Amino acid sequence: MEKKRILLVDDEESIQLLYREEFEEEGYIVDSARNGAEALEKFRENPPDLVLLDINMPGMNGIEVLRQMKEMRATLPIILNSAYQEYKQDFGSWASEAYLVKSANMDELKATVRKYLG
Amino acid sequence: MPELRKDPILGRWIIIAQERGKRPTDFLVEEYKVKGGFCPLCPGNEKTTPDEVLVYGREWGYANTPGWKLRVVPNKYPALIIEGELDKQGEGLYDRMNGIGAHEVIIESPNHQDRFSHLPPHQMLLTFQAFRERIRDLAKDHRFNYVVVFKNFGKAAGASLEHSHSQLVALPILPRMVTSELDGSLSYFKYKDRCIFCDIIRQELQQKVRLVCENDQFVTLTPFAPRSPFEMWVMPKRHNSSYIEQDDTSLIALAEIFSETLRRLDTCIPHVPYNFVLHTQPLRSGPLEHYHWHFEIVPKLTSIAGFEWGTGFYINPMPPEETCRYLREVKL
Repeated sequence: MEKKRILLVDDEESIQLLYREEFEEEGYIVDSARNGAEALEKFRENPPDLVLLDINMPGMNGIEVLRQMKEMRATLPIILNSAYQEYKQDFGSWASEAYLVKSANMDELKATVRKYLG
Repeated sequence: MPELRKDPILGRWIIIAQERGKRPTDFLVEEYKVKGGFCPLCPGNEKTTPDEVLVYGREWGYANTPGWKLRVVPNKYPALIIEGELDKQGEGLYDRMNGIGAHEVIIESPNHQDRFSHLPPHQMLLTFQAFRERIRDLAKDHRFNYVVVFKNFGKAAGASLEHSHSQLVALPILPRMVTSELDGSLSYFKYKDRCIFCDIIRQELQQKVRLVCENDQFVTLTPFAPRSPFEMWVMPKRHNSSYIEQDDTSLIALAEIFSETLRRLDTCIPHVPYNFVLHTQPLRSGPLEHYHWHFEIVPKLTSIAGFEWGTGFYINPMPPEETCRYLREVKL
């Protein structure tokens, strides 16, 4: 069976390393981008099956990236993954399938990814 | 000379620091442009919202599908959650309880381009009916004491999505703003044996210096001590403390005056960001002789900084008599 592809968008290198290791171990292919512009470029080049998206990033923020990705593919599952709760007040976040606050315990995040990718 | 003015209900002081010759067009307001793009509130994207709790206009078809004129949905990522018990606790002198509440979004029109101020009164009416139905429904939940209904329009006023919507939050406690207004109006009632809001309406209808517009059931005025230039209150002429007691005839008249009021504001200052908030009695009260439900509309034209935080005073650069004149004389 073909492996599912996750696009991980986060400007923090430590998060990228940790998530890449954890999700590759789960059997996914992980592409990564460090900002919104790079994420949209990778999104077009190599369409992912799911996007894990940080919100607070330099340049374009995650809510805007989410809006643009959903415009291109409304059915694509996108999980917002931020250190901050307050972006939940931004209704733009509704376009995502889930909003999870970053945590050292990755069980919930992995379970949510499995829910959408199997 | 600047002037200090006291709000007769709350006892809140404001400063009218009039800038000579200031006109509505002198306020810097960012032009409102509809960006469009993917919108979770648009028809066709119903699956991106939680299941609707109220819908108007869909005569056939399944729930959460297009064909509606107004939808109410719970907030997808709420700050307060609906399930659970309050579990009130004291820790020494500090009180706490679980974050129980309901947070709902009223999607006022299916059209992404629509602005609330320019909705025809019959479409605006649906919003006022939805407020009433949702408060009535949430009042059945005995964990809640108050429902705050509000709208943010424009980025500066806190709106994060351009599709026209308002919100309501059911709370287990009475907000301080509500208790202050109840206390202030009760003191006046004890002293004069009259509702202060009824007295304000009577005086404003007589003097006509802060009267923006009226119809047979409602009046819009600029309050004597406004926090912001062009602040307006929309009040029923007949005494009633509870919004949810209003019948459809009253809400039709409300939609008519609200539509006129917002169009006057938007014509004076195009695209002005604003908030409006419904002030009504607590869910667990019977009819109150001293309180009078109403809406307050506050344009976002001034900023709140250290002085305002430190004193609770607001500095307003235009007296309400002057803003009223502009609002009244504008051609619609």
